[in-house]
Amino acid sequence: MAERLLTRFTFFERLLHWVVGVTFTLLLATGLAFSYPALFWLTALLGGGPSARALHPWVGVLFAAGMAAMIAVWFRDMFLTGTDRRWLRAVRHYATRDSANVPPAGKYNAGQKMFFWVQGALAVVFAVSGAALWFPAAFGASFLQWMRLAHYLATLGGGLFLIVHVYLGTVAYPGTARAMIDGTVTERWARHHHPGWREEQTRG
Amino acid sequence: MADTLSIRRVSASPDAYVPISALRAGGPTYAKLVDIGACIGCKGCEVACKEWNDLGVEPTANFGSYQSHRDLSPKTWLLMRFNEVEVDGQLNWLIKKDACLHCEEPGCLYACPAPGAIVQYTNGIVDFNQENCIGCQYCVTGCPFDIPRFDAATRKVSKCNMCVDRVEAGLEPACVKTCPTNAISWGSKDDMLALADKKVETLNARGYRNAAVYDPAGVGGTHMMYVVPHGDRLADYSLPADPTASPAPMTALGFMKRVGAYLMGFGVLGALVHFLRYGPERLEEHGGTEAGPVSPSRAGGASPPGR
Repeated sequence: MAERLLTRFTFFERLLHWVVGVTFTLLLATGLAFSYPALFWLTALLGGGPSARALHPWVGVLFAAGMAAMIAVWFRDMFLTGTDRRWLRAVRHYATRDSANVPPAGKYNAGQKMFFWVQGALAVVFAVSGAALWFPAAFGASFLQWMRLAHYLATLGGGLFLIVHVYLGTVAYPGTARAMIDGTVTERWARHHHPGWREEQTRG
Repeated sequence: MADTLSIRRVSASPDAYVPISALRAGGPTYAKLVDIGACIGCKGCEVACKEWNDLGVEPTANFGSYQSHRDLSPKTWLLMRFNEVEVDGQLNWLIKKDACLHCEEPGCLYACPAPGAIVQYTNGIVDFNQENCIGCQYCVTGCPFDIPRFDAATRKVSKCNMCVDRVEAGLEPACVKTCPTNAISWGSKDDMLALADKKVETLNARGYRNAAVYDPAGVGGTHMMYVVPHGDRLADYSLPADPTASPAPMTALGFMKRVGAYLMGFGVLGALVHFLRYGPERLEEHGGTEAGPVSPSRAGGASPPGR
């Protein structure tokens, strides 16, 4: 018997996700290239050093636009609830697959919500510091140095979150990635990961 | 001769931060000494700079100053700034020869992310290699003297290269060669320091009690030094009193980059180790009854979440 599928993300949501995902990956790769001489070869992804430097801010504009749209579409679903706070306290059980001790999540669990808010805040830091570094002639040297530091710290935070995000969304939890490809998940997956949401979806 | 172009530091490479004490000794270390008190304001040095370096003419406009251009540019590597200042009730031109000072510890080179775009030769000259420049302008941010200039058309940054091609051939820079009053001297750093002391003594004898040598320690000293008649008025010469090659945010950035490299490396390793320990989740193991997921509880892991 074929398993019942639930629609988790609309086409537009998936499109936004991949605009942000692809642009962020390119930005991270070239950003690391500009931060670490040993990784300078990564500029090849955008056509070499000068071209990567010229394109990085434009890719950043796309990223910022994608993030802005994503925040507009998702922020209502992302406010933390009482269950979420209990989930965060039980994050150790989540990380060790001790699901009996993890409070049941709705459409998004507290980890996903935190990921959303942190990446949203980092996007603001990226946009502000990136705009300054894009037009350095308009600012003083000392301010730009602080902006370099801010831009790097956001890169570090975003990079660390990306590692966790990709790991959990792919190999750690099979059946998750398809939600961002064809937009569906199996009912069994939903029952396990997002029981509250699955109930809403199957009730009517 | 080969020694004059031995490379000491290269941007965005591991040896960019070699401490001075660890560098190999030997080979001439050059310096230019600008005796501001002997400058007559002829701007011959500006012309010589443009001619030797093929920089071309930029249209200028009178803006109420004896100064030729308002600012340095990708085509103007040397600008005599005519700062009009009243000293003891008299109008003075506190002239500054505005061009790269060729810091012993170059903030531009430390800030540069493009391997090989900025080099420092063992002779002390700091030079930009435009073919490696990516146009990010971080060098502009890193320079405590506001010297490098970005060309929006070529997307490259340039500045005074101390006529490195002349120096390599055993000649003095073009500005030194042309100066009619010998206000600019050229030689080894030691000789120039000794000459500077002598010039300060002379100025002192003439009543310039605050005459001083400008060779700021915050950038490890410079390979263009000034003798300023009014050493107590550095700001009026547009000379920063305390320039530094490693300002606080850049020091913090360098430290955080090291920490960040480990964090990201351990992040990837951590995910791998977690995967080895817990593997891909298998939903069928959890039963999935209507009552909710059931997990095989492991020893000691079954306490309810804290509340």
